[in-house]
Amino acid sequence: MKHNIFNVLIINRWFVFGIILAVLLVIVFTAGAWFSRYDPYNASFSPLSPPSARHWLGVNDGGMDIFSELMYAVRNTVLFGVLSAAAALALGIFAGLTAAWKGGLTGNILMRLSEVIMSVPPVMIMIIVASFMRPSAVTLAFTLSLVSWPTTAKAIRSQALALRERMHVRAARDMGGTSSYIIVRHLLPELFPLYLIGFIAKLRMAVFMEASLAFLGLFDPARKSIGSMIRYALQYYYLDVWLNWLIPPVVCFSLIIMSITFLAISLEEVFDPRLKEI
Amino acid sequence: MKMEGKELRIKTFLSHNTRRIMTYLIAAFLLILLGYYLPRVLPGDYVTAMYSQSQAIITEEEEAWLKAEYADKESFCEYIIALVTLDWGYSLVFSEPVSDLIFSALPWTLFLLGSAHLLAMIIGFIAGVEAAWRRGPLEKLSVGLMTFLEGAPEIATGILLLFIFALVLGWFPAAGGETAYAGYGMFRWGLDVLYHTILPFITLFFAYLPGNFLLARGSMIVILKSPFLKTAYAKGLPSLRVRYGHGARNALLPVVTRFGLRFSFMLTGALVVETIFSYPGLGTLLFKSIALRDLPLIQAIVLFSSLLVLTVNIALEICYRFLDPRVRNET
Repeated sequence: MKHNIFNVLIINRWFVFGIILAVLLVIVFTAGAWFSRYDPYNASFSPLSPPSARHWLGVNDGGMDIFSELMYAVRNTVLFGVLSAAAALALGIFAGLTAAWKGGLTGNILMRLSEVIMSVPPVMIMIIVASFMRPSAVTLAFTLSLVSWPTTAKAIRSQALALRERMHVRAARDMGGTSSYIIVRHLLPELFPLYLIGFIAKLRMAVFMEASLAFLGLFDPARKSIGSMIRYALQYYYLDVWLNWLIPPVVCFSLIIMSITFLAISLEEVFDPRLKEI
Repeated sequence: MKMEGKELRIKTFLSHNTRRIMTYLIAAFLLILLGYYLPRVLPGDYVTAMYSQSQAIITEEEEAWLKAEYADKESFCEYIIALVTLDWGYSLVFSEPVSDLIFSALPWTLFLLGSAHLLAMIIGFIAGVEAAWRRGPLEKLSVGLMTFLEGAPEIATGILLLFIFALVLGWFPAAGGETAYAGYGMFRWGLDVLYHTILPFITLFFAYLPGNFLLARGSMIVILKSPFLKTAYAKGLPSLRVRYGHGARNALLPVVTRFGLRFSFMLTGALVVETIFSYPGLGTLLFKSIALRDLPLIQAIVLFSSLLVLTVNIALEICYRFLDPRVRNET
């Protein structure tokens, strides 16, 4: 199953769209970060000046170069997403495999817990944590992973349960394979497509969440994020600056979300449609 | 043996339905518990620290009152009683009881979210069923369009619509839920509210539509292959009856089951959209209370809307019993 994943994926139209968009975005933002000449916190330029050869996207109300700010913001937003998605995936794999392998009381408790967490809107938990404890962005990314692991855990558990009864895994057990041997050699590698689906779904949710929370003003106001850029720019929407200040972060954010969504949809289409996550 | 297996499946299915309702109740209890303990476990002098950053200028007297309010003297029972009797505290920023603020914003949010979800579900479902029924170039096009829309975040579509239709063309108002101080009669007021709701409604409608469409189409395609549809045809039933009475009816189930999960994830976007259009609902109220650091209000809105989401989910789970006769006949 593992060796032909790519061959299966490459014929899916949405996967090709998504991956091309993702590669282009990575190239553009890496090059952009390279070319941004100013420190995004340097507030020494004349506020609200229009785009020029020195400031490609002009200067914001605080006198900061918008292009440098945008490159920094994209990096922060995507890093938040990757961190949170990776942590959620790790938690989901651990909980899912434990529930499938141990079963019994442990498995039941884990699954009930995941159902309770799934029934509460994640954004509400994030708002409460962010407004009452005012943690750093990294802490918030981990907090998000604490509420977003259950969907992955459920998918992994049900597939692991099915896999456990397959002939080759039974054979390995009959030949005296220990639990850890079977989990590491059979379950972990053979569930690989689920990790891709889980990671991409969580990434989409986390990037979306980061931008929304920043838009609502729940992060440190000095932290650069696509959401906070849109928030500040929207306050000046009646001026002409929206073209160079508001539109760039909105377009960047849409392209990032689209690329992730196309990847998510194609992965779900290619691998079992019953494993659909959000 | 085969029958036994089927009965077993029905049993677990039934308990699944009841178990889900139990899960929501447990989640509601945990949320209330969190609302009770959170202000009490925070380290340090929480009131002074928070209100030193707040927009609200509070007097010594008010600070003492707040400290007393948050002091660990109220028992959990008293907290529950206060919750049930709508005694949710007092917003110092808005100088109004928290419950008054929430209940004046609630109808707006219910109207906007309810109509967007309902219409997106009905139209998305019917379009999905029809797309699965008539495979062809139009279906391919609509699937492509819907997948594209699924990738467009609400924050971007909202801002785009705000620009095109409110600022450049000027067809629709850019902010608010009604014209202030217009003094319209009942009918004019209704039209005015609709007029203000159109842009946020369209933003949310197009955010919710693709998910329903793709899900309905996907499950309908699977159902169209099942033998019972062939039987229905062989009986000579009209095509519309086969499609909706036999096929779509089953395709509805996954759409309904997934609704709860989608609803709670979609809430994030709804908050942002309300804020973009300054729509006078709970989302904008939450945005304001976050900006002004009005903690009692933030906490009350979060708890109230989470409980509301759980209530919707429980209601949906009960509806599910009526939608799926396998569950209904067992109860």
